[in-house]
This record gives sequence, C-alpha cells and structure tokens, in this order.
Amino acid sequence: MSNFVIGYYAALIAASCLAAYYQNRKVFMLLFSLTLVSFVLGIIGGVPALRGVTIFAGLLALAAGTSYAFREFLIQISKPGIAKELRTAPLTASFGMFVIFTYAIAGIFAPWIAPYGESEVIAQTFAPPDENLLLGADQLGRDIFSRIIYGARNSVGLALVATLLAFIMGALGGLLAAVKGGWFDQLMGRVADVIMSVPSLIFALLMLSIFGTSLIVIVIVVAVIYSPRVFRLTRAVAGNIVVMDYIEAAKLRGEGDWYLIRKEILPNSTAPLVAEFGLEFCFVFLLIAGLSFLGLGIQPPTADWGSMVRENATLISFGDITPLIPAAAIALLTVAVNFVVDWMLFRSSGLKEQ
Amino acid sequence: MGDLAGLIAKRLGLGLVTLLVVSVLIFFAVELLPGDIAQAVLGQGATEETVAAMREQLGLDRPAPVRYFEWLAGAVTGDFGTSLVSGERVSSAIGTRFINTLFLAAYAAVIAVPISILLGIVVALLRNSLFDRVANVMTLTSISSPEFFLGYILILYLAVKTGMFPALANLRADMTFVELLHRTFLPALTLVLVVTAHMMRMTRAAIINLLASPYIEMARLKGTPPWKVIVRHALPNAWAPIINVVALNLAYLITGVVLVEVVFVYPGIGQLLVDAVAKRDFPIVQACCLIFAATFILLNLTADVGAILTNPRLRHPK
Amino acid sequence: MKKKFTDKDVLLKIRGLKIDGYSDETWIPIIKGVDLTLHRGEVMGLIGESGAGKSTIGAAAMGYARDGTRISEGSIEFDGMELTTASEGERRALRGSRIAYVAQSAAASFNPAHKIIDQHTEAPVHYRIQKRMEAQEDAMELYERLRLPNPQEIGFRYPHQVSGGQLQRAMTAMAMSCRPDLIIFDEPTTALDVTTQIEVLAAIRDIVDQFNTAAIYITHDLAVVAQMADTIKVLLKGEEVEEAPTKEMLDNPREDYTKSLWAVRSFKRDQKSRPTDGTQPVISVQNIDAAYTGGVKVLDDVSFDIYPGMTVAVVGESGSGKSTTARVITGLLPPTEGQVLFKGDPLPPRYQDRNRDQLRQAQMIYQMADTALNPKVQINEIIGRPAQFYSGLRGQALKQRVDELLDLIELEPARFYNRYPPELSGGQKQRIGIARALAAEPDFIICDEVTSALDQLVAEGILKLLDRLQRELGLAYMFITHDLATVRSIADEVVVMQHGKVVEQGPKDEMFKPPHHPYTDLLLSSVPEMDPDWLTTLLEERGGVDNIGDAADV
Repeated sequence: MSNFVIGYYAALIAASCLAAYYQNRKVFMLLFSLTLVSFVLGIIGGVPALRGVTIFAGLLALAAGTSYAFREFLIQISKPGIAKELRTAPLTASFGMFVIFTYAIAGIFAPWIAPYGESEVIAQTFAPPDENLLLGADQLGRDIFSRIIYGARNSVGLALVATLLAFIMGALGGLLAAVKGGWFDQLMGRVADVIMSVPSLIFALLMLSIFGTSLIVIVIVVAVIYSPRVFRLTRAVAGNIVVMDYIEAAKLRGEGDWYLIRKEILPNSTAPLVAEFGLEFCFVFLLIAGLSFLGLGIQPPTADWGSMVRENATLISFGDITPLIPAAAIALLTVAVNFVVDWMLFRSSGLKEQ
Repeated sequence: MGDLAGLIAKRLGLGLVTLLVVSVLIFFAVELLPGDIAQAVLGQGATEETVAAMREQLGLDRPAPVRYFEWLAGAVTGDFGTSLVSGERVSSAIGTRFINTLFLAAYAAVIAVPISILLGIVVALLRNSLFDRVANVMTLTSISSPEFFLGYILILYLAVKTGMFPALANLRADMTFVELLHRTFLPALTLVLVVTAHMMRMTRAAIINLLASPYIEMARLKGTPPWKVIVRHALPNAWAPIINVVALNLAYLITGVVLVEVVFVYPGIGQLLVDAVAKRDFPIVQACCLIFAATFILLNLTADVGAILTNPRLRHPK
Repeated sequence: MKKKFTDKDVLLKIRGLKIDGYSDETWIPIIKGVDLTLHRGEVMGLIGESGAGKSTIGAAAMGYARDGTRISEGSIEFDGMELTTASEGERRALRGSRIAYVAQSAAASFNPAHKIIDQHTEAPVHYRIQKRMEAQEDAMELYERLRLPNPQEIGFRYPHQVSGGQLQRAMTAMAMSCRPDLIIFDEPTTALDVTTQIEVLAAIRDIVDQFNTAAIYITHDLAVVAQMADTIKVLLKGEEVEEAPTKEMLDNPREDYTKSLWAVRSFKRDQKSRPTDGTQPVISVQNIDAAYTGGVKVLDDVSFDIYPGMTVAVVGESGSGKSTTARVITGLLPPTEGQVLFKGDPLPPRYQDRNRDQLRQAQMIYQMADTALNPKVQINEIIGRPAQFYSGLRGQALKQRVDELLDLIELEPARFYNRYPPELSGGQKQRIGIARALAAEPDFIICDEVTSALDQLVAEGILKLLDRLQRELGLAYMFITHDLATVRSIADEVVVMQHGKVVEQGPKDEMFKPPHHPYTDLLLSSVPEMDPDWLTTLLEERGGVDNIGDAADV
C-alpha cells in the first residue's frame, strides 16, 4: 500500500472525526460517506481512482476558495447597496462572475496575452505541448493556447453582438406590443409563434444555406431566431405591469407610449430582463458554437472555439484531449453565465420558494 | 364535451395553419437568393447556356406561387423532387435516414423521460436540501455544455480509453437489435444527458409551483400523509405541466440530434441536412427543414392537446 | 348564546407563543408572546388589522407553521397534548380528525381535479372513522344541514362548477366530516358579497352550535365577529390587546386601541343637497349601455348626475357594474349607447380622443395603493408629473407645488419628497394617490373603493381628509363602494346598482329609510351590525333562512 493511499484515508477519517466532534452533521455525513465510497472505488479502480477523487476534491476546493475570495473582493469594491445584494450570492454565482471576469480580460487584452498571433504558423502539425506551446499546436501548426485566447474575443464577441441585436428587437417589440395592445399585439404574437415553430438550429441552417456564412449574416439570422423568445418574455413581464393602476393613471393623464415604456414599465422590469439577457446569451453562444462546429459559422482562419473543436476532432480517437479544450472553454463560460442567471432569477422571483 | 372538442379542433387548426406558414417560409426563403437557384448552384463562372438549361430543368421560368403549390403537393405525398448535386430522388435519400433519426431520438427519449420526471419530482420534494443544490449545479452544467463537448468526452472515456462502446455509430443493415442498441449507445447517451437536465429542471419548477397552491396546504391541514399529498393532490394537476415539459424536450431533441449525428457520424437526416447546406443542395435542405419543423410543430401540438385533455376545468364544464 | 365555561373544559391552551417569520435573510418575530385559552364548545373571535398575526396563530393552533415561519417559543397544549414537542406524525394525526381548518378562499382550497364529495370523504376514510359509502351519506346530511341546494347531488360536482358561497359551506361541511373538537375559520366570508356572506355566517353558526364544536373565528370585521363569537380577543402587531366576552367587549372596551376600533364607524358628516339655482351637474351619465369585447352587456341604461361639491356613492356587489361605470366615465371603455356630459358638454367616448383639459377633469383614486403607485418612482415625481404635464410647471415652481400638495394631504414635505412608495405605509400611499389626483386640479374625482383595503383607523383618516378637501376645494366625488358604513358616513346621494342596472337612486336619508326596492332592502339589511343579536333578529324577520341566499347567490 502506497503512502498516498494511507495519507488519503487518514486525512478523510481525521476530517470526519473533526466534523463529528464539532457536531456538523452535514459535513460529517458527506466526509464519512466519501470514505466508505472510497473503499469501493479503491478496490475497483485502484490508486488512480483515489488520485482522481483527490484531484477532483482539490479542484472543487480551489474553485470554492477562488469564488469566496472573489466575492469578498467584489463586496469590498462596490457601493453599499450593491454590496448587500452581493452578500446573498452563493459560491456558484461568484464562481460564475469570476469566470466571466476572466473571459472578459482575456477577450479585451487578447493581443497582449496571447504569446503568438491568431493564425501564425509556428510549429509542426499537431506538435505536442512543450514550454513554448502550452497546449500544443493544431492541424496547421498554430499555437492552440493563443487561438483559445483570441477565440474569447471572436466567439464571445460575435455572440454578444447577436444577443444584443436580438434583445433590442425583441424587447422593443414586446414593450410596444404590451403598451399598444390590440391588433399590433396580436400580429407580433403570431409572427413570434411562426418563427419559434421552427427549431432554431434548423432555421439557422436554412438561412445560412441561402445567404452564405458571412459574419453579418450570422449575426442577423441568429438575432432574428432568438428575438421572439425575448419578445415573449418582455411581453409577459410588461403585460403584468400594464395592468397596474399606475399605468392606467398615466394613460388617463394623456401620456404617450414612449413615456409609459421609459418611465413606468422599464424601471419595473430590469431584473427579469437582465436575467433573460444572460440566458439568451447562453442560447446564442451555444447556437453559434454549434454552427461553427458544423463548419457553417465563423470561417477560418479566424480563431473560434467551435471551429477549433471541428478542426482537431480527429485527435480524439488517439485519446488526445486537445479538441476538448475549446469545447470546455465554451461549456465553462455558459455554465458561468447560467450560475449567475440562476442566482438573479432566484432573487427576482422574490423568496417565493422559501 | 362539445366545448372540449371545439377547443382541440381549434388548436389542431392553428397547428395546421402554422405548418402551412412555415412551409411558405421555407419555400420562399430560397427565392430570396441573390439571382436564382441555378445561378447560385452553378456559381459565377457558369456560361449563360448552362444556367439557362438548369433553369429550364428546374422549371424556374414559371411563377413562384405555382411552383410552391406543386412543391407542397409533392411534399404531402412524400415527393420532394431531385437532388441538385447527385440527381438522386430526395425521398430515397431521406427514407432510411429519417427512420434512423427517429430511432435515435426514441432511444434517447425512452431512457430520458422516466428518469428525468422521477428525478425532477424527487428534487422538488427535497428542495433546498444538499441533494437539490448538487442536482441544480449538475443539471446547469449539463445544459450549458454543447452537445459535441459531451459527445467527445463520452467518446474519449467510454470508447477510446476503455473500449466499452464503439466511437462511431455507422450502421449496417444486417445488425441485430441488441447490436444496434450497443452501437448507438453513445449518441443516445449524449442526448439523454442534455435532455434529462432540461426536463428535470422543468419538472422541478412545475411541481414546486404546484405545491404552493392553497389546495395543497388544505390537504396537509386535513392530515393527509405526505406521499398521498403528492399522489392524490399534486399529480392529477401536474399532468398538464409535465406533458408540456416532455413535449418541449422531445422537440429539443430534434435540434440536438443534428449535432450529435455529426459527432458520431450517424447516418440520419441531421447529417444529410448539414451536408446539403454545405453543398447548397436546396431541395434536400427544404425537405429536411420541413420534416424537422413538422415534427416540432406536431410535438408542441400534442403538448397543448394533452394539457387541454388533462385540465379538469375543461373536462367537466359547468 | 350565553355559555359558562369552567377550567376542566379547557380544550386548547396556548402560553407565551412566539413565532418568527423569515424575511430579508433573517428571522423576525411576528407573534410576540400570546396566550390563549379555549374551552370545549367555545367560539373565540380573533380580530385585528392586517399584520396582526391572526392567521399565523390560527395555523399554530393546529401545530402547523406555514412555509417561511417557525414557532420559536411557548407551548401549545391541545386536549392535554403538547403540540410543540409532538412528532410530525402525531400532529398530523390530529389534523382533519380533531382539528379542522376552513380557509378564506374555498375556490382555491378545493383541489380542482377531484369531486367535492371525494375530498370530503378523504379524512374520515383515512382515519377509518367511516366507510366510504357511510362518509358520503354523512356528507349529504351535512350539506343538508348547511342548507346547500340539492344536497344529494351537489357533492358530485367539481369545485369550479359550484358558486363561491356554496363552496364555502361545502368546505365547512368538509371540516365537520370527522366531527372535530375544534375548527379554525380563517376569514371564511371575507371574499364573499354581503348578501352571500349572511347565509354562510348563519350556516356556520348553526352547525357549530349543533355539534357543540369549539372554534377560532379569524376576521377583521368587528360586526361579523360580534355575531359569531362567545369571546373576542383583539390583537395588534403580534400582541394581545385585550380579551373579553363578546357582550362586555362591545359595550365597554377597556383599552384605547379597542375603543378607537369601535369608534371608527361613528364618523359622519352632514348631508348636502343639490343646488337649487340651476347649476349644471359636473358629470351627467346619460343612458349608458356598455359591453366588453365578447358581447355580454355589463351596463344597461345607466343614468345619474353628480353636482359640484357633492358626494355620490355608487353601491352594489361585485359584478354589479359600478367599476365599469367609472371606466366609461374616464373613457377607458367607450359606451355602446348613451353619453357622458361634463358641465353640459359631451365628453368624447374614448380617452385617446379627449384633450388635456378634459382628461384633467376626471381623476381617479384607486383601491389598491400598492398597484396605483409606481414603486420605482419617487414621490415628488409621482405628484409632480401631473402638475408639470397639465400646468407646465418647472423647477422651483414645480417643487413649491409638490410641497403644497404634500401639505394638503398632511404629509410633511421634507420627509416624503424623495421617498419611494414601498417605503410608505398603506395609509400614506393612499394619501399620495389623492395628492396625484389633486395635482391635476380637477373638479371631479372618482374614488374606487379607496378605503376597503385599509385598516379601519387609517380608513377613517382618509375619509376625513377627503371630506376636508371637498369643503376646501369644492370637489365632487363619485364614491364607488360596497361598504354601506362608508356610505352612511360621507355620501350625499346614493345610487344602487345590480346586474348592470341602476335599481334605485336618491338622497342618502331617503335611501336609508323604507320603503325600498327589494334589492336595496336586501343589500341594506345584509350589512352586519355591531349588535350581537343582529343576525338572529334578521333571520327571524326574514322568516326562516331557506330562501335568503337564493336572491343573491345565483
């Protein structure tokens, strides 16, 4: 039996005893059941399995620690009102904020962070990682690490622009439909129904096959596909507000539609709209990544995560994880945004679930 | 009951209209091409004669509405014309591939639906517990991962490293059913992972929403035991939201299937569609889009009709 | 009704009960140490304003803490069993069998998926008190005792197929199904119209009497509790104010707070009569018909006049068309027939077609101050906007006008100028609503149930304010209400509406004296009075109770 295994069990059992001594029931149950599970795992998977568990636990602890520290950091630098809100953030949400923050830095300062150029050929095809090439080279001999950094700018940037456009169209339509009502509302609703009755990826493929795959086409097509979702949500949120008596009072005063939207409805619907923006971003980001993966999105040589997965996909059959890295980059950002949105939705839904 | 039949008929009619509008959309979107189909397919380098010949062959000289109705009439009888690239009948290209796609989706659904509804209910009952929080983080992660990410992870660990399942899901005609299940397990599992997460979350939300109703509190205050509160008081009212959740997610499967088929090189119509888009083979693109859209609309329709049928207020009118 | 209770009959004993509620991430006390002793067969009325903690105590008496609340201290002893330390299973075994609950909204509290009788028999079958068929027989008998129409058949309907008043009685029957020792009635008639309320009250009182069941009757309506309870306990903000037998409590309340509650209904101002010098009415509603999209006619030939400086009360039950009339006057719902005159000139039917001056003249004050004020807009802008919009005031002049208006509604300008509505109390919000209407400098204001969402003391303050403003500014009010006590205190003229028609109208003093139109009679006599014998006397006068409800409960 190796020292590692002895240390592993000793640490677990000691921690369980400590938890039991301090009467922390949850922690004790967690640690001790982990100990029991480890016996089984150790017998089946041997030392590597236990090592896997250790690494996983370590990563989890690291993520938790980072999130905790990052939340404290945010609380320190923000104004009292916001700081009070932030204090309620669970660790998952502050982890999400940390990841988004990191991606933003990577995207904005890409040329300074990336060691090599976006499409600079510097090594052999599929060169393995070494000191200069952190993650190795791709099928043309370009530095994968640099392309990941640039990808933060291209993939995320494109998704942001498309989301923004979808949001402006959908939200404006929804607000106007709610305020005006009548035939305008009906018409907008029907149009949204039709667009939403075609699966989004299928719709995108149809449009791209017709108009080609330039960036501007992608942005417009994706925005058109997702604006009905925003429209519906905004219409629903604004619909709950326009029935309020203060809207009736403003209408009877003779206020115009624009005043109603700007002064009476928008201030009361920011929370759900911001959350929806996050959700929408996730959908758009995943759709564009999917299109790129199919070779119909952002075109080479621009660095983009979806296309990078496609370009390096053959490596997977050799047990090489390279194609998983850009895919993981996509997943990590989406998870991060979802974590933050989840928290915001929980806050804005009031504490109904309590 | 007349009321109920009327409602359902109305909903079916609305579905049909939507389908028609979508078919118009699919057909006329292609008409928006700069130039026309012949020009687009043959490219800028083509001579006047070849373009004219192709126009003649496709019947482009006739007005668009006429061609639309011909196309629609053909589509209803399963005839989508011929492929521009291979010259093959579109219907024969789609034929078995459509069956394959349906098989994959059904495979995933059979696993995912019972598991996710059960887990969704369990999580709703244990809400705010540690188990619920862990499940929340895991489902969020699963939803956030692109299908190809999950697919490649499964390939890496279950195919390449351990060799338990084949990495590629190419099918042969002479395979037994068990072989088929084994061979298509990884693509099905990928779909299951994504859809289960979605379905679980939606089921949880629906149940929690329901448990907040006054009649549930009334049942508790009548001394009804917890399991009976769920089975007798919550479930009969939960069918509508649950049917809705299932149909929505089956519809979601359709989109997911395209990416998964590409990852596992599975011979379904998703693959076909992606290839056709790259080659700009419009008859195939149109046919695939129409099939996907029709399935999607049909599932949503089923959900709505299901919701109407299980609503006690509508089933027992005043 | 007079009963004597001795110590050995004690059924429920609550001592030092403290309950916390969860809000803003912390537990804050909502019940701060309440004692309660209830004997077998005794009916105790728990009264108090919103937020007094009545419902929370009611639930606690069943050993039940609602989601977001917890019992933090004290003891609850039910028939010798301590509920705070009992296991969940033991407590559950009491519910339905020995302690039953009747909720405020029967429509929401019956499961829509099951027939009424199946929900009724659930508890007796579960507790093996009766077989299913026996329980059904028993249910029908209870339905009969509670004077439900078609007692043999009504149970086999689904909840949404039965009217609100009948459903509330069916729920009382359900509570009786195991013949419990104690029933908690949680505002069982608050959601009902007055004419429906009466039969439910009568039915509840009879059945509780017949089975000698103890009950806790929770309500905010003093007159109702006076009919139902043997003892009354007054609560204020989670604490007990006082407790006494009903008669004693009504005749001479000890505490100042209780006295003030009792005194509210005494506010009354002198009645004015129409000007005789040929002045035109401010608003003249002439032969209005109106229908919502869908075609059902909701107003049928409605006419009445409102003269300057006068208050016209429009009364009727829900669905009578009183709020719809207001919508027609303001132009939100154009009439299909007839017209509205403002000082002799017809107003355009749609508000979109009215000019600013016409819009300015018809101001509204709403029932729910919470939804009437935008929570994200500061007070100064809420009040300032109409002044700016109609009179074009800017800068210093605008600020001065807002201060003036705040003074007018008796709120200190410096304190409220920059506040947001959610920071204000219900009464303060309602005052801001009044100030917003005044800012337009109208001659005529529609008050839509302005006091019905408020606690009685606060409501009285609002009525006094409206009265003072009327005298100072010469305003005319159209006062929509279902509360006849309010009508008595401030109306000059009364318009009674039913099913979209004006049934009767005239000066207040005439309207409160017989002879009346039969519906006016029914409406006036159904309003509970503080006299504990009122219900008994009324039922005798009406000659049996079998038919009273049928007039209104359609």
